[in-house]
Amino acid sequence: MASDPDAALMVAFKGGDERAFRSLFEKYGRTMVSFCNHFVRDRARAEELAQDIFLKLHRSAGSYEATARFRTFLYRIASNHCLNELRRAEYGSRRALEASEGGEPPAPTDPDTLPAGTSTPEQTVLASALGRAVEQLLEGLPEKQRLAFVMGRFEGLSYEEIAHALGTTVPAVKSLVHRATVSAAAALAPFMTTGEEVAP
Amino acid sequence: MKHASPSLSAYLDGELSSEERARFEAHLERCPDCRAERDRLKGALSLLSRLPPSPPPSPNFEQHFYARLAAERPAPRARLFDRPLWRWLAPGLAGVAASVALVLVVEIRHRPPPDDLLVGDLDLFENYEAVASVGVVENQEDVEVVAHLDELGVRK
Repeated sequence: MASDPDAALMVAFKGGDERAFRSLFEKYGRTMVSFCNHFVRDRARAEELAQDIFLKLHRSAGSYEATARFRTFLYRIASNHCLNELRRAEYGSRRALEASEGGEPPAPTDPDTLPAGTSTPEQTVLASALGRAVEQLLEGLPEKQRLAFVMGRFEGLSYEEIAHALGTTVPAVKSLVHRATVSAAAALAPFMTTGEEVAP
Repeated sequence: MKHASPSLSAYLDGELSSEERARFEAHLERCPDCRAERDRLKGALSLLSRLPPSPPPSPNFEQHFYARLAAERPAPRARLFDRPLWRWLAPGLAGVAASVALVLVVEIRHRPPPDDLLVGDLDLFENYEAVASVGVVENQEDVEVVAHLDELGVRK
């Protein structure tokens, strides 16, 4: 795939070029840690999962077709892996226990006071509260919505890329992302000021 | 047009076609509910964009990964035997080796001493191809020949 240099690297690796694989890991390894972190909320575990994903990628090079965009191929592996992780019963019970020990709901806040670069201790506390609210939001979303939401909102994938990664259609992704975004608006309402109207 | 809320997120994400977008905006002009919903979702997206980035991985993240990758790779000898040709040949060669071993054992058990013959010639099993090329081993002299094929310059 001439327009996708990552696909070219994957094809080179499929042909035995280990340096090409290394380049892909260097480019996407950290991205995968961030992606997995949205599902496990545990950096060490997220790192293990990201490594698992690349080990799977290493093993599955033979099945890679150059017609597939590398990024969607990678996110497909990552999505399946994170879903498996979520479905582990022991993991679910552990998260439930942690959720039951959670703090108080956040107070309403003006979004403009949230950090954008350097931050005061107050802003750091607010950002931390917002982060917890988002984590709780993600935990409450159905699996597919969560995957679509994370890929779209945090990883910057287009609806089409998400559809390829999830093995579904663009209209389905549109619906998944919208429902998750409506849930996000409800979950983050305490952080929003009212009466704000901004044209897109 | 009914409320267009299912398209609202796609609108905010720039995922509508120009035609869909024009239709949606025409609806927004007439529908205060959808405008309010648009602003609500836009506020949520604005908050999400202000989240701090994920913390970077630990400094030895890459190092751990390459260690895991190295540990997962089979040793060169094992990889040789994973090759398709060996997968086909191995059962046959093993059968030949077993037959030769059986002949040897029978031969040796029906022979008088010296008893140190078997131990001394176990290394002949190391090369199945060489053993198979010999055919039936008739006597002790044959066993010795097989065991020292390399010294005789026989092509394996």
